[in-house]
Amino acid sequence: MTTAGMRRGGVVLTVLGLVGLIALYWMCFFWVSTEVNQGVVQRIFYVHVPAAWTSFLAIGFAALASGMYLWLRDDRLDRAALCAIEGGLVFATLVLTTGPLWGKIAWGTYWTWEPRLTLTLLLWFIFVGYIMVRNSTEDPDKGKRFAAVVAIIGAMDIPFIHLSVVWFRSLHPEPVVAKPDGPTLPGDMLVTLLFGVLVFSLLFFGLFLFRYAVEALRAEADLRARSTA
Amino acid sequence: MIGVSSGRLVLEAKGLHRNYGSIVAVGALDLSMSEGEFLTIVGPNGAGKSTLLSILSGAMRPTTGSVRVCGEELDFARYEWRHRIGMLSHQGFLYDRMTVEENLSFYGKLFGISDLEDRIASRLRRVGLSERARSEVRKLSHGMRQRASLARALLHDPDVVLLDEPYSGLDPAAAVVLRDVLEELKDGRRTVVMVTHNLREGLEMATRIAIQVGGRFEWEGSLKGALWKDFESHYHSVVEGRV
Amino acid sequence: MCAFAVLTGVLFNFSIDTTTVRPNEVATGLIWMTLIFGGLLGVGRTFHLESQDGALQGILMSPAPKDAIFLGKLIANFVLLYVVSLLVLGVFGLFFGIDLGRNFGWVVFVLAIGSLGFVAVGTLFAAVAAGTHLRETLLPVLVFPLMVPMVIYGVGAMMPLVSGRPFTEVEGNVRMLGAFALAGVAAGAVLFRYVVED
Repeated sequence: MTTAGMRRGGVVLTVLGLVGLIALYWMCFFWVSTEVNQGVVQRIFYVHVPAAWTSFLAIGFAALASGMYLWLRDDRLDRAALCAIEGGLVFATLVLTTGPLWGKIAWGTYWTWEPRLTLTLLLWFIFVGYIMVRNSTEDPDKGKRFAAVVAIIGAMDIPFIHLSVVWFRSLHPEPVVAKPDGPTLPGDMLVTLLFGVLVFSLLFFGLFLFRYAVEALRAEADLRARSTA
Repeated sequence: MIGVSSGRLVLEAKGLHRNYGSIVAVGALDLSMSEGEFLTIVGPNGAGKSTLLSILSGAMRPTTGSVRVCGEELDFARYEWRHRIGMLSHQGFLYDRMTVEENLSFYGKLFGISDLEDRIASRLRRVGLSERARSEVRKLSHGMRQRASLARALLHDPDVVLLDEPYSGLDPAAAVVLRDVLEELKDGRRTVVMVTHNLREGLEMATRIAIQVGGRFEWEGSLKGALWKDFESHYHSVVEGRV
Repeated sequence: MCAFAVLTGVLFNFSIDTTTVRPNEVATGLIWMTLIFGGLLGVGRTFHLESQDGALQGILMSPAPKDAIFLGKLIANFVLLYVVSLLVLGVFGLFFGIDLGRNFGWVVFVLAIGSLGFVAVGTLFAAVAAGTHLRETLLPVLVFPLMVPMVIYGVGAMMPLVSGRPFTEVEGNVRMLGAFALAGVAAGAVLFRYVVED
């Protein structure tokens, strides 16, 4: 795809995502029924969970692109990984903001070691590590390889972190509020949640394409600087 | 290409590029060298000489282009070709707290050399370090260290010898040893590439000379018959013609 | 490193009130934290010897396979960290009055797997950190988030053992710890070549 094509794709997806986001907010506030136990505050769930889903999508995508970069050494794959990581960082930050807001009201405390929140926090550090490593080498190619290794190891560690924090939590039960689980979720809540996942995925890929187009232009500028040097 | 002799083709580089972001260290460089040739590359600082040498040594991957040694591509997933390359860098690659002998024996094992003890003894004799074989490297003078790393670089009898500023900081005695050893390397079986920014050393040994500026060879030729004085002014005109 | 182990034990002893908490339970967590911090000090120096005179480049230019170089460094780090962790176990056992009894063998085994898991990830990222200008500063940022499963399963396996529970109760945790260590070693051996390539 050309850079211009990327940008057009980015615009389309982002606009779709933003329109979807407005629809999602409308559904959150006016359409979906209020959860019985938690009350109104539970509605943040439709932003929180899709954002979390997107940040995991991002690390998976970045690890895949990174692995292929180490194999094929095509700079486009490295750029894709970088853009996915940055997008993931944004959405993980969103999770880490909405989680405590919810937690304060639902559990009476800003932070709990709730497995998914813990996992997202660690994921956030993996994203940050990726970006730090990438920017701390003199030779940019070295930074790309180092960062690719961070993404791959980070993604590999996710299942371990997930299993361990869930197990840890089972050892230290807290007065947990009934958490809506997939099958038991009433129909309208499930629809809203799935719609949220769709909207956030659209937004992620829209922002991803925008960011990718910027990186592609940067690479092109580097190329021109080299050929005139 | 100037100076290609009739010998077997040993070192071939095609379309080498190496970029650091927007900076070009090596750009569009081709090189082919036969058995017995000695190439000295001179150029100002920042011309990409060391980067080129790193690529030829297989320590660095070029951004694009390929290098072959004795017909074998420098493939990073394979290791056999590394037996053919010896490198003397401005760093010695030696462990400070091990003796000269221990260092050589360690590298010898990495290269899988069978007659290791004899070979170490003969290399140390050659560079005049036999008496200091059991000294820790950190207790040696700079010249002695450089001699020890010369012995290390040649330990596995490489076909291609790469030298990065070998004369820098050498005392006169070490410089004489180095010159003699380099002279011996011109035995017709080896291919030598030396990089330097110093026009006073190493030019007289070269069968070929290249002037590298801005990542490219701006001039290639030999010193046959020409006086050193002439070459110096020629060098400056080549370098300044670019800058 | 030995002094580090002993002194950490001394400091921890003064940092907690052993009359209000049961030393058995606290000590396990402290042992693992000591292992992690001590391990970080150790793996941070993995390539210190080679960094002085470019010796790492010398090794990398030799025909020795890169995964072999990684495994060599890993084994060296493992032996060092394991010896330290045994020492930590002894020191903490002494200071906090822990009697391991018949579980001694299992505790030592769990520490071995834990040390292996730590050095697998630590050695790989030590190579990464050594190639950046941030050096050792970067190491905890990269390594600590990844170490969470190891701490959870390590402490989860060791705490019941220290309290005299049978090994069968913690077998699942030890398996997860082992899986973590093996995955770390395998991934490190595969990815190391990309870290040290240039």
